[in-house]
Amino acid sequence: MTSPAEHVIEVEHLTKRYGALLAVDGISFTVRKGEVFAFLGPNGAGKTTTVEIIETIRTPTSGNVRLLGMDVTKRKRDIVPRIGVLPQGFSSFDRITVRETLQYYSRLFSCRNTDIDGLIGLVNLRDKSQEQYKNLSGGLKQRLGIAIALVNDPEVVFLDEPTTGLDPVARHEVWDVMQGLKEKGKSVFLTTHYMEEAELLADAVAIISKGRIIATGSPRELIESNAKCLLLTLQSIDGKVFEIVRNMGFEPVLDKHRNIKIGIAQTDDVLRILNAIKDAGASFVNLDVRKPNLEEVFLQLTGEALREGPPEMVVK
Amino acid sequence: MNPRIIRANLVVKLKSFYRERSAMFFTLAFPIILILVFGTIFMSEDNVAYHLCVQDLDQTNSSQQSVKTLEINGKFKITKVDPAVNATQYVRDNKVNLVLVIPKGYEKLLMQRMMLNDFTTSVTLTYIYDPSSSSVTTKMEILNAVLAGVNQEMSGKPPFLRSVVRSILTRKYRFIEFFIPGIIAMSVMTMTLFGTVDSDTELRQKGVIRKLSTTPITHTDWILSNILHHFILAVISTIAMLLASYAVFSVTLHIDAWLLAFIMLDVVTFVGIGMILTRFVKEAQSAAAAANSISFPMMFLSGSFFPIELMPGFLQNFAKMLPLYYVNEGLRASMVFVDNMAALKDSAVIGVFAAVVFILGTIATKWEETA
Repeated sequence: MTSPAEHVIEVEHLTKRYGALLAVDGISFTVRKGEVFAFLGPNGAGKTTTVEIIETIRTPTSGNVRLLGMDVTKRKRDIVPRIGVLPQGFSSFDRITVRETLQYYSRLFSCRNTDIDGLIGLVNLRDKSQEQYKNLSGGLKQRLGIAIALVNDPEVVFLDEPTTGLDPVARHEVWDVMQGLKEKGKSVFLTTHYMEEAELLADAVAIISKGRIIATGSPRELIESNAKCLLLTLQSIDGKVFEIVRNMGFEPVLDKHRNIKIGIAQTDDVLRILNAIKDAGASFVNLDVRKPNLEEVFLQLTGEALREGPPEMVVK
Repeated sequence: MNPRIIRANLVVKLKSFYRERSAMFFTLAFPIILILVFGTIFMSEDNVAYHLCVQDLDQTNSSQQSVKTLEINGKFKITKVDPAVNATQYVRDNKVNLVLVIPKGYEKLLMQRMMLNDFTTSVTLTYIYDPSSSSVTTKMEILNAVLAGVNQEMSGKPPFLRSVVRSILTRKYRFIEFFIPGIIAMSVMTMTLFGTVDSDTELRQKGVIRKLSTTPITHTDWILSNILHHFILAVISTIAMLLASYAVFSVTLHIDAWLLAFIMLDVVTFVGIGMILTRFVKEAQSAAAAANSISFPMMFLSGSFFPIELMPGFLQNFAKMLPLYYVNEGLRASMVFVDNMAALKDSAVIGVFAAVVFILGTIATKWEETA
């Protein structure tokens, strides 16, 4: 049990409404000092609304949010100099260079001793320091965004979907930077819909779906507590397979690759399912039986895929 | 308000502007092009000679002498129309707006009047004109004045009413010199309004504003740096316009602190209006349309291009509700008439307007919930 003094973020019964739409539905959670906290959920789950309320960009409809012990609705002026934010879809001034951009944000925070070269080195942008923002690739822009979030040496860093839209190489480059933050002992609030990101970096995870938190814990705890069953994955191009499994009383779900994922209590169920498919004259291409990972835990918990859209939609 | 933040923001804006060469070129070049185009038009208007077609059906010495008389004071350049052609058809075919027809028998009737003192005799000259032409009325009025002068001359008696021209100005000004202050006011408005709406909408749409809302920069810092940015650009643009008009048209105007004051008031007013518009413009693509909806009526109705006295009464009243009207009037009062009291009155009106729209614009600027 941690004391409130060790919590950099405390959220209690937070609700946000946009007219009739309930975006965040009475959620509560805490983030401890020095930990990387991953806030997971599919698009539209309420992640960004929640993080923007904590960052003081939005106001809550009800509930209490304390950041560094201060009420976010009343102490914006005191909070802002102590946090660093990489907002979702970060962008900057097109014709300003990397170095000038960092100098600009440093001046906004009235920092006199910002180590601009150190920040440029931290995000590995030394070769691009004189490059204008518009000429940077997606991954380089995100790395610059992270460097900007650190110009005021913040106590809490918010990274809202820092790798969304990046290709795998650029994503790994950003992960390296985040790993560096973790090693520096920064408290990091990471919003993402990439499970591997959370598994790799996070000390604690909260999963949000349709405005409500449906699970919290460390990645290992979440997998352990939800992995009482095995996960059978069927790769099938036969549309009948999904119906056959469902008619047997299981609760299959489709992942983003259209694979059928079925939680099973015992290994005998695997044989029952395979026999039923064979008896029905249906077919599958491949199968896999193993304990689920975090993404599959999410799939089991919500029945929703974390990411929307095909992987080829990512851009560098 | 934090001067360091305002300076940092100003530097970024100026660098961005300087590095966007095409935008910089058009921002500075557009008003100069306007001055060159309109200046050329107005310079020729100061010594204007209208084109007049004359069909002399009489073809006598007297009728030809009368045609020459029309050319004497330089108001008309005459084109002779063949007496055999149909004058109405000639107007249609040749896209001219007026043909003066001297009837057959002109000399005979003239002699009858002059030699025989038959004052009942008169000649009717016919104006065949195209009413769709905007300049034909002016042309006919000048022609009437010339004819009245000829009639007066022929009466052999001195006129009872005479007139003398006395300008309210100590020196003679050309129309271009009245025009330049209007162009300065108009181009500062355009630059500021479009700059504010375009830039803020684009930055909001791209998410830069959302990022800024997580930093200590305040709305006041942002708006003040916007005002300073546009003020610097407006001063540079004004200097360029004054130099161009001096170099090409030898325009000299009185320049004092009022010029800077009116540029600043112009900037504050249209930054304020721009901020209000930005609240309602969601997409960068619609920003230009929104700015046009404000700038076009201002441009044409507030006396930048032509005096509002030419407009119908209700439009004149409407023009006096437009802020640009007072910037135009104020700049003319200070730069042309050197009338400090008039400039003070105009600055008071535009100052109140600027303060109101600035406050409304500040209230309308919301980064948080719209981010």
